[in-house]
Amino acid sequence: MPDDTPAQVQVDQAIDWLVKLRFDSPSARTEQQFQQWLGSHPHNPLAWQRVSHLSDELAGLPKDLSRRTLEGSQRQRVSRRDHLKLLGLLAVGGSLGWAAREPLGLPQLLADSSTATGERRQWQSTDGSRIQLNTASAIDLHFSAQQRQLELIRGEISLDSNPNDNRPFHIDTRIGPLTTVDGQLLLRENSQGLLLSVRRGEVTLFPASASPRQVLPGETLQVGTNGSIQALALHSDPWGWTDGVLSVQQMPLAEFVSELGRYRPGLLRCAPEVAGLKVSGTYQLGDTEQILQLLSRSLPVRVDYRTRYWVSIGAA
Amino acid sequence: MQFNDTLKPTEVALLYQSHHAWLRSWLRSRVGCSEHAADLAQDTFVRVLRARQVSPLKEPRAYLSSIARGLMIDQFRRRALERAYQESLANLPEAEVPSEEDRLVILDSLERLDRALHQLKPRVRQAFLLAQLDGLSIVQVAQRLEVSRATVERDLAKALGVCYRLRYADA
Repeated sequence: MPDDTPAQVQVDQAIDWLVKLRFDSPSARTEQQFQQWLGSHPHNPLAWQRVSHLSDELAGLPKDLSRRTLEGSQRQRVSRRDHLKLLGLLAVGGSLGWAAREPLGLPQLLADSSTATGERRQWQSTDGSRIQLNTASAIDLHFSAQQRQLELIRGEISLDSNPNDNRPFHIDTRIGPLTTVDGQLLLRENSQGLLLSVRRGEVTLFPASASPRQVLPGETLQVGTNGSIQALALHSDPWGWTDGVLSVQQMPLAEFVSELGRYRPGLLRCAPEVAGLKVSGTYQLGDTEQILQLLSRSLPVRVDYRTRYWVSIGAA
Repeated sequence: MQFNDTLKPTEVALLYQSHHAWLRSWLRSRVGCSEHAADLAQDTFVRVLRARQVSPLKEPRAYLSSIARGLMIDQFRRRALERAYQESLANLPEAEVPSEEDRLVILDSLERLDRALHQLKPRVRQAFLLAQLDGLSIVQVAQRLEVSRATVERDLAKALGVCYRLRYADA
């Protein structure tokens, strides 16, 4: 029934009008042109009706709640129990009970390898390279006769490529591809793009919108999604987690708390009045509860448990 | 919608006979629960009946598993979204908590929005969120992202195009 389905071209035009009218302050002339467009084809009013209905639906969403929910859903991870189940440790007989009804994690279903929040894993891949995944991370691996391929789907990984295998390693990331043959490198997705640190070997970075760049051993760079590259002065050792620790120097508490939050499910908040306190030391990532206790002893802060998964840190 | 480019019911029946058992065990190995796997297998065939697809299938198992994968993603996202929603409520003052009835409408919209966001490049996604959820104007978004006005307009149109497809085409 062609009559109630506007053609793509009308939909595209309606969307262009919507952008001008809703997200901008349109001039009288723009509104006049819009009215002309509306009458210029019998299907235009229908396209406009659908597009503006969609926009009304989106505009009606509670802003704060929606944003938090969308962000939160990206962070959702599998429970530890699902993991054990996948490893076959729990799946004996029909005694799964409630565990079987718990939602499985998407990473487990789709990615070759992944970790839940708070989990770290290391293993040797079939080419002899050593791979470590940090908390809440996922990768895909493909090996062919000509090349080794790795995609960082989410999170953070350290790769120690087997130098005796001379197939190139192609790594796909959100900011563009990288290649190496014999590199030892660390990749971490963050809000600005990707953090890249190289310990050994030659690594070439091909940012999506900038020219290729060689990254040398000892370099730690922040690569923006727009291809911008910055050397970083960090408050922490980016490689710390590969040894199971969070090692920081004069790190503002707010940053420390958000770092720690990566390893814990739920909410971990830091009040603004203590956000600037400085934290130094090396903390065992295996026990984040203990880290919170240590903080309350070494800094003038108090740790409040509103629920087990909602913890806030404020002034003591 | 035309019907001559979906598989014929007899073809689906044949597909079902030949591959249903395989699909169930493929799903069971992933979801770990045979009832859940059976449900998903059923849903997969329902989707096959409705999908536009030129027959005959070259690789029926690859086709079936890709549809089943899509269903698993949808379910996972929905559950993740519901949990995130619940967690976010904890931060809201009582008066701002939506009613149970509104909850479902909001979750449906958020689910589509979430799927749309997954299909967008990071900059487009960010521009869209800034404009749609944070209420920034095109000029403000352009300043924030350090791109031109025209780029923001294009990004927003692109994001809305994806939202439109999810809202009306895949329904």
